[in-house]
Amino acid sequence: MDIDISPLLTRWQFLSQALGVTVYISLLSLTFGFIIGVLVGALRTYGGRLLDALLGFYVDSMRAIPLLVVLVWTFFAFPLIAGISLNTTTAGIIALSVHLGAYMAETVRAGLTSVRGGQMRAALALGMSRIEAIRKIILPQALIRMLPSLGSLCTFAIKDSAIASVIAVPELMRQSQIVAGQTYHYVEIYTALMIVYFLLCYPLARGVDRLYRRVAHLGSS
Amino acid sequence: MTFHWSVIWEHADRFVAGAMLTIELTVLTMLLSLPAGLILAFLRLSRWRLIRIAATAFVELFRSTPLILQIYWVYYVLPVFADIRLPGLATALIGLVCNISSYNSETFRAGIVSIRRGQWNAGLALGMTRGQAMWRIVLPQAAMRVLPALATTWVSLFKDTSLVSVIHVEDLSYVSLKIRTETFVILEVLTAMAAMYWFMGYPQAKLVDWVHRRFKVAE
Repeated sequence: MDIDISPLLTRWQFLSQALGVTVYISLLSLTFGFIIGVLVGALRTYGGRLLDALLGFYVDSMRAIPLLVVLVWTFFAFPLIAGISLNTTTAGIIALSVHLGAYMAETVRAGLTSVRGGQMRAALALGMSRIEAIRKIILPQALIRMLPSLGSLCTFAIKDSAIASVIAVPELMRQSQIVAGQTYHYVEIYTALMIVYFLLCYPLARGVDRLYRRVAHLGSS
Repeated sequence: MTFHWSVIWEHADRFVAGAMLTIELTVLTMLLSLPAGLILAFLRLSRWRLIRIAATAFVELFRSTPLILQIYWVYYVLPVFADIRLPGLATALIGLVCNISSYNSETFRAGIVSIRRGQWNAGLALGMTRGQAMWRIVLPQAAMRVLPALATTWVSLFKDTSLVSVIHVEDLSYVSLKIRTETFVILEVLTAMAAMYWFMGYPQAKLVDWVHRRFKVAE
């Protein structure tokens, strides 16, 4: 077969814009997912039995339902109940964040519970409130310990953003499908795409590993 | 707003058939990915550098790219390079197995490396060959340790099988999306799909938690 990369060269602006969208929705879903994760993780750890059970139901449900289903449901079904209309990118970011948030929550909870109970008691004994103790004493140590899991969740956010192509979010996967469909150069485009995603995810994963090795001592108490 | 839940019952047999294929895909992929992952793990621990590098490259490539893209890639690229036309199901299976065996190989490798060096040395000192020491001493101990990680991979595999719908393999998500376009009953069909995945996946997630508690490594 002959390899022809001309579609990549002529459509590079279109594709690099799509790469921008991939980075954008990954970053936003990571940010929202992290906020959900810290809230849910902290409330499950310190919020008592009832909250733990309720939020645990959310977390386990997201662990059980495929992201594709969450995306499709959020985009097509949710607006019918809520009586609103969502554009694809917003629906994509919501679904990705809600899904990722559950995994973040598990990571945060594991991090928080790994910090020994004496740390909390010492903080309370020094006159801090519980919130203050969590914010100033527990969370900083837990964050360092969570770093390896957070790193792999970052790469998951990028990889999962490709699934948003099924609801036509104009990200890299979707736009490449369009170019491939127009030019019939599936082999070149999908191979190039493999390389691009690899270059995004692999250095990120290794970088976080390195960072962790340098700061791991800060998380030990 | 009026609901048309009857549509679900009218198409119940198709939903069930889709769910069966989802389960079949999960089981088949895992059955193939366990030995494939073990072989990859051995190759990564090989004495020869070239083999190590090749195996590492394979594993890292499939761990660092989206599964949905891998499935498309196998679907479009394999027929061109290898000049074979496979049915959709086989294509999906190849994509899933490449992905899951990469994750499994990391799990197995971590398990093998976690067994202390002394176990190896003791096996060799007793006159075992390297292969014997691996099969009789190291692997049985590693097997218990990797169980929680394998269980986690199992559940994410169960969820990931939904991605084969993009190459028209008729699993639960493909069937549901198709019924949606045929009947225009969007909310009910999509909710039924999510509910079916939930009913299958939720007990599995709970089971994984139990496996994690039961087989936790305490050293």
